[in-house]
Amino acid sequence: MSSDPIDELSARLFEAARRERLPEGAQQRALLAARRELAAIPELTARRSNLVRASIAAAGIALAAGVLLFVRNREPNAGISAEPARPARPVSPQRAPAASETAMPAPSASAAPTPLPVPSGAPVPVRSAPASLSDELGSLKLASSALSSGDPRAALAALDRYDHVLKGKVMRAEATLLRIEALARTGQTGAASTLAQRFVEQNPGSPLVDRARTFVQQ
Amino acid sequence: MPSAPTLGAVSIESLVAQHYGFVWRVVRGLGLSASDSEDAAQQVFMIAARKLESIAPERARSFVYGAALRVASNARRGLRRRREVPEDAEADPPASESRGPERHAQLTQARALLAEVIAQLPEQQQRVLVLAEIEQLEVPEIAELEGVPVGTAASRLRVARQKFRELLEAARDRNPFLEPA
Repeated sequence: MSSDPIDELSARLFEAARRERLPEGAQQRALLAARRELAAIPELTARRSNLVRASIAAAGIALAAGVLLFVRNREPNAGISAEPARPARPVSPQRAPAASETAMPAPSASAAPTPLPVPSGAPVPVRSAPASLSDELGSLKLASSALSSGDPRAALAALDRYDHVLKGKVMRAEATLLRIEALARTGQTGAASTLAQRFVEQNPGSPLVDRARTFVQQ
Repeated sequence: MPSAPTLGAVSIESLVAQHYGFVWRVVRGLGLSASDSEDAAQQVFMIAARKLESIAPERARSFVYGAALRVASNARRGLRRRREVPEDAEADPPASESRGPERHAQLTQARALLAEVIAQLPEQQQRVLVLAEIEQLEVPEIAELEGVPVGTAASRLRVARQKFRELLEAARDRNPFLEPA
């Protein structure tokens, strides 16, 4: 459009900038990083909050069951009359006051030591729990933060603690997904892929399975 | 229902496919080296991944542009803390369509000169110049990305071009495209 040398120089400089090629594979690397981010953060957050809500409810039930067990098991030792076991009856808030109901018939010899049947799936009393939910969450939060701040080795250390010290169970799927990502970020893509493949096979119904699949190498 | 990597109205795949080059050239045009530009662009799409559900397709370019500006600004601040002058193109040769060492050297010098001149402009002017001259966007598109009225964008671009021209004139003896006498 113009023969002005400055305009011409300007045009050529911008042309050089436009023609500069992207670094080889940069776009693919960005996509992988974005997919990992997508896999790790929003899903984990959503799952975590759902699980926290469910776990709080479960913990409440477990605590109530534990307290009931404790109270019931102590009744014979306290030498206080207690009503006979009523196998099919659901837990009632009147159980504790019943200890003072002297009008109640004395327990039979066979009824007194009978332990309360533990409902299927109910946890044992809280005292014996190996790791609390907050411990598990704390470990995974640590791993997630380490990944977000670009320190996958610290994330792996937190996940090792989750697996071997806490022996975490509630958040196991999330822990595995974090481990897959941490392995990938430390360059152990083969190990990440193997673990991801196993996760996909073992958890076909998990909402995290699509995330895991993004780490499986073709 | 299992959720795929596509959570919102846009997928991360389409976002990267459509806007990676744009983001990379913008942060590069704003003075980052090629490798820093790659890091910055990657950060932009990681941010986008976290916000994917809130990105409307028609706002995708604005979103990545805004994120690119913030990431580039942070990166440049970090560079300034480490050194007085941002890493220039000579330290990180561009992967250009080179046709030999001379051509490669010429493009490297061109990239360095462009970065140096643009860096002397105020940030607002840098941005509109990059969008207009490297991305070749029209003024209304620039206005939309910058979130300013069209008249303001046009005015900024006019001033930026004038200032750029003056700065380039002062550096004309370093024109990498001059044929040797």
